Amino acid sequence: MHEFESPLKPELAEITRVKTETGSLKTFTVSFSDKKTLKKFSFAPGKFMMVSIFGFGEMPISISSSPYQKHSLQLTVNAVGNISRAMHLLKTGDKIGLRGPFGRGYPIQRFRKKNIVFFSGGCGMASIRSAVYAVNAKKELFGKLFLFHGCKSPQELLFREDIEKWEKEGDFNIFVSVDNPTPDWKGYSGFPTDLIARANLPVENTVVLLCGPQIMMNIAMQKFKDIGFKPEQFFVSMERLMHCGIGKCGHCNIGKEFVCVHGPVFSGTELEKMHLAEG
Amino acid sequence: MGYFLKKNNLLPYLEFLQKEKNLNVIVPVLNRNSASCFEELSDANAKNIFLDSRTWFSPKKFFLPNREREFLFEKKASSLEIHETIKHSQKVIFGMRSCDLHALNVLDKLFLDFYGYDLLYRNKRHTTLTIGIDCKKESENCFCESMQTDKPDFFDLFFWEKKDGYFIEIGSERWEELYCKKFFEETRETKNKSAEKCKTRLNTKELEKIFEKNFEHKIWESESERCLSCSACTQVCPTCYCFTIKDFFLLDGKNSERYREWDSCQLQQFTKVHGGIFRQSRKSRLRQFVMHKLSYYKQEHNLHLCVGCGRCISVCPVQISLVQIAKEIQKNPLEGK
Repeated sequence: MHEFESPLKPELAEITRVKTETGSLKTFTVSFSDKKTLKKFSFAPGKFMMVSIFGFGEMPISISSSPYQKHSLQLTVNAVGNISRAMHLLKTGDKIGLRGPFGRGYPIQRFRKKNIVFFSGGCGMASIRSAVYAVNAKKELFGKLFLFHGCKSPQELLFREDIEKWEKEGDFNIFVSVDNPTPDWKGYSGFPTDLIARANLPVENTVVLLCGPQIMMNIAMQKFKDIGFKPEQFFVSMERLMHCGIGKCGHCNIGKEFVCVHGPVFSGTELEKMHLAEG
Repeated sequence: MGYFLKKNNLLPYLEFLQKEKNLNVIVPVLNRNSASCFEELSDANAKNIFLDSRTWFSPKKFFLPNREREFLFEKKASSLEIHETIKHSQKVIFGMRSCDLHALNVLDKLFLDFYGYDLLYRNKRHTTLTIGIDCKKESENCFCESMQTDKPDFFDLFFWEKKDGYFIEIGSERWEELYCKKFFEETRETKNKSAEKCKTRLNTKELEKIFEKNFEHKIWESESERCLSCSACTQVCPTCYCFTIKDFFLLDGKNSERYREWDSCQLQQFTKVHGGIFRQSRKSRLRQFVMHKLSYYKQEHNLHLCVGCGRCISVCPVQISLVQIAKEIQKNPLEGK
């Protein structure tokens, strides 16, 4: 970065593909317009981008594609606010602004030879998917792999094709649950946290990666602890409002931590020292 | 050997800086509503320069304006151009108190150093000179001695008030930009001994740890019962820096602008995401303000975010005082921790 360039200035990027995932979720494949930026760009799973929809604002979105994917990245966006709804109206060829990647991702290089449990709920699957891709590309380096995912209904199941593919390949033990099943749903109905005790998970030498609604992650961590997991085995992706991504705007402050700089991924030991409730 | 400026030469000196040195001269003034704040020197306010105590509003707005344009997004036929706002008005802020100078140092650390710099702040900071002035008497509710911000530092020039003028202490290499041969007389005077002690005292020993252990103290509940979440405290605070970024369409149907505005942790929407509001209760928001000032920042950067100016206490419409909260917690800490 040039010394006098603003760290808040977005880089132009172009939408190269839009895929509707579910009713409110779309995955945008985007690519930096500047070739040099595109070439330099790399990220660790769990990191996030600040996405500008010009005229509407900027929002933090985690990267959902593989870190090994060249020339583009994917952003899975839930249409819930002004900016994300505006983004859902964009088409292939439209321009957006990108800054990043920001934050600290999942420390995947530290998970070598360990069993990994991926645990996600709803659109939390976006950041988990990136981590799954990273692990799956070098699966011989890791132990047993488990994936838990919960969503509201079968129609809301995010990345269905990916999950089916991973299931077919047989490297993952996959547990998918829906809160409100439809008559044709053959899988588990209920909360994904209910499946933890049944999965016969190895506790020794295992790490758990979590991303999803706070309440789900809290219950999940408790259930993991019930079967013998320790806080240091958890790696949790936190959500907060963010405007800058560089530890300046103050919105993502939890105690002494800034989620945008020190997080969004925190270890369970770090979380125990943080004031998560109203902190 | 130092310099001396006679009192009746103060205004001519400031006008000299404005006219001869082409600086925007910012001075503390008492405005028509009896509120003191920093303003650009003009013929209209030259007789209202206010040096009796610290100002009601802090000078932070000259580094972090309450609203400023960051970018203009200009839509072209097949692309989009991003224009940055670059401002280079040279200015000098006269009449900053020791606490204001220390507050500026806190902001410098945050916006020029920690986790990388911020360009808008950097541009303004590098084109600003500071002239401090000593406090002859304490201001309402101030407790700078307790926060160790009573010793002036981080200034270009500092004016020590004497009987008929000011002894000028030099603080930086850039001071010569403020030198005036006509008014600066050589003198053997020295700077003043420390001023009158602040009546408000706070023991800051391990304060950050004491707060951390008393996150669930009942004082948060009882004090927040009368808190109005009006955010006046964060507006007058010289170190409250939180901002939000918003886009606006220009009324031409294609171009847009990105603005940066002050935000306040006292407002609910400060932590609003689609799943809910993280600090829903007033209790949690009041606690965030007080603990950010006296605990969190110190834990992370070994520097208190509070400089003891007492503005937040003076301005609070329901008399909530972070000093009183700290004292109550020190007096009756939670048991067993």
